[in-house]
Amino acid sequence: MDERTRQFVVSAFQNYYSTADIKLPPDFTSREWGFIEFTSGQDTFMKRHRAFGSEGELHDYLRGIGPAHAYYSVAYYEYPGAPKMKEKNWLKADLIFDIDSDHLPGGINSYADMLEKGKRETLKLLEFLMDDFGFREEQVHAVFSGGRGYHFHISEESVLSLGSAERREIVDYVSSKGLNLEKIFSKKDISGDAGAESAKMSVFPSEDEGGWGGRINRYLISYLSSIAKDEDAVKILSGFKGIGKTTAEKLVDTFKDESRVAALKKGKMDALGGIKKDILMTIVNQGVEQMAACVDEPVTADIKRLIRLPGSLHGKSGMKVTALSIDELETFEPLNDAVVFGDKSVKIKVIKPFAVQMKGKDLMVEEGIQEVPEYAAIYLMCRGVAEYGR
Amino acid sequence: MDEKDFALYPYISGASAHVKSLGMSLDRLVTSRAMESARIRGKERVMQAIEGELFKPSLSASDEQKILLELLSYPFSRILVSSIDDSFLTRRYCLAEAVASYKLLKTSDLDFLEEFASDFSVYPDRSDTGFKLHFTSYIRMASSLKAIEWKLVNRKLHHGNVNVSKEEFSRLLQELIKERVEHNLPMPVNEELVESCEPYLVEIQELLEERKSTFGDSEFESVETDLFPPCITHAIANTQAGVNLAHSMRFAMTAFLITIGMTVDDIMNLFTASPDFDIEKARYQIEHIAGSSGTHYKPPSCSTMQTYGNCYAPDEMCKKISHPLNYYSRKVWFRKRDAQKAAGNTVPDKSQKNDS
Ligand code: SF4
Repeated sequence: MDERTRQFVVSAFQNYYSTADIKLPPDFTSREWGFIEFTSGQDTFMKRHRAFGSEGELHDYLRGIGPAHAYYSVAYYEYPGAPKMKEKNWLKADLIFDIDSDHLPGGINSYADMLEKGKRETLKLLEFLMDDFGFREEQVHAVFSGGRGYHFHISEESVLSLGSAERREIVDYVSSKGLNLEKIFSKKDISGDAGAESAKMSVFPSEDEGGWGGRINRYLISYLSSIAKDEDAVKILSGFKGIGKTTAEKLVDTFKDESRVAALKKGKMDALGGIKKDILMTIVNQGVEQMAACVDEPVTADIKRLIRLPGSLHGKSGMKVTALSIDELETFEPLNDAVVFGDKSVKIKVIKPFAVQMKGKDLMVEEGIQEVPEYAAIYLMCRGVAEYGR
Repeated sequence: MDEKDFALYPYISGASAHVKSLGMSLDRLVTSRAMESARIRGKERVMQAIEGELFKPSLSASDEQKILLELLSYPFSRILVSSIDDSFLTRRYCLAEAVASYKLLKTSDLDFLEEFASDFSVYPDRSDTGFKLHFTSYIRMASSLKAIEWKLVNRKLHHGNVNVSKEEFSRLLQELIKERVEHNLPMPVNEELVESCEPYLVEIQELLEERKSTFGDSEFESVETDLFPPCITHAIANTQAGVNLAHSMRFAMTAFLITIGMTVDDIMNLFTASPDFDIEKARYQIEHIAGSSGTHYKPPSCSTMQTYGNCYAPDEMCKKISHPLNYYSRKVWFRKRDAQKAAGNTVPDKSQKNDS
């Protein structure tokens, strides 16, 4: 970014901050703040260990500097402004999840595609947080990061004092790390009516059982029932490693039979009639992979991390770090809804050809001087593919 | 909770308040003749801990004398452990106290467990099979447990709660008890106090030495990475630099580190310095070698290391040993001797130590 570009972008950001309505995190005076400013050189440098005593002070700062990136600590400190971490005296910290679309498995075609995948992952995580962890919708604050991912912030009293190892347990849970599938299928002793006869019965978690067990039951049954309805059911199932034609036919029969499906939902494995455990395991494994939410573990485990301030702008895209309610999350379109700059036309010099879809329009720019709407100009300048003017 | 419970669980907050209300001072506990049986029991606690199991007496409410003795023996044990100030002893003692409590707790009724837990700010609800814990309480207690079935991911977490049986709950409490007993231990003790305890310390120290020498290599007081043999140092450096190790070397290194007393987390910390370290894979491998499945693997000897080409740049010390673990234990012993020499103390004789 050259000096003229820097001045242009900074003044656009300052402008944004002069009217932006930014909701500060709970107990914002106990947080450490950090900022990165736009520079025309290569070096980025974070000014951190800042503390603000009032909302006005912080707003003045944002307006005055127009920083490229604005962060606050997930931690609450006694002395947030102390220059050394040791002196701050950590009190507690919000629970944070970070879903970085960049790190998701599977191929990614475009920026828009990546953001969409990230959103789907976010919804998976949400399901865990609500069903399994028992958080209510209004306790989970979703945020689009303005870049590639989504964050969840939880500031409920019960989680604030959790340490790193404990937070890692939560990440392991949602990402299925350490899940012991062997335990999912176990044998249980059952005794006959008179108590004289006893036998081993294979049990499987029932559909309403908590934790991964119940999830796996629901996945297996809904997956196999829906395949059983397919004309090509046998063919699809034979495609799995270890499933031959006979087994596939047996499976289809089983899952077409409602009474047997009902028994399976209750965890009675014997209703499967002799289908081997390792065959089901293949499908279970696929289910676990699909249900697990891909969360960036170090972010959650780091109880002193700095996180982007919702309502601020992301200096590498010019988009707004957007706080979202759960309802909004589902319909949120980052490349439209997180764009804050206007349509007036700005002259830029494109350094590298670039394509992006913003505000519902396909934008494709070639090298050279051209005019584009302000929002696109700022996006391209922040990405480092264009300079201001000529 | 009554006095009997205080005596059996002397780290409970009510217990120390009760001791205070008896007008008992540290001084009196250590010097008064009337307190001698409490001191003897205090010593016994520590000795039992070294041997592996701390036994609690069965107390009935009418045994006032016995209850008092048992209660007061605990602060004296703490003084003894602090006077010796040996990290192996401290760890072992705290664990033994916690395990002894666990054994009692699991036979207690649910009401008592609930009251007991409240002293640790854990407030479970009842369930059909035992207790229902909020997941934050559960992970607070369980995250230090290594076995895979304690991981939250393997529990039936439902609407924020985890079910645990009475026995499981007692086991979880054991972790909090250990934490509490460990707190402030060793505490600062002045020389005068140590001197008055001397008669009790001798026997403990002897037993401790004996225990350590029979345990041999597996009980190092703390891990000193600069004393590792060249093969292990080289392997660690490679791992940190992101170089892939041969499977046999990775195994040897991990088994070595586990055997000398590093935890899975310690080892992970040692490695995560490397940027392309695959945390997930590594943790799995380390846990496997550490024996989360029940088998504990021993690191291979020097000759096996040589066979696989894992012996790297052997030095002078290597000529005198046949196992990487011996390399380490010898170096630790030398360092200790040198430290004692520097402090002007007499040198412990290794051969004598083994004879005792
Ligand atoms: S001789 Fe033994 S301890 Fe020394 S480097 Fe070789 S294997 Fe390691």
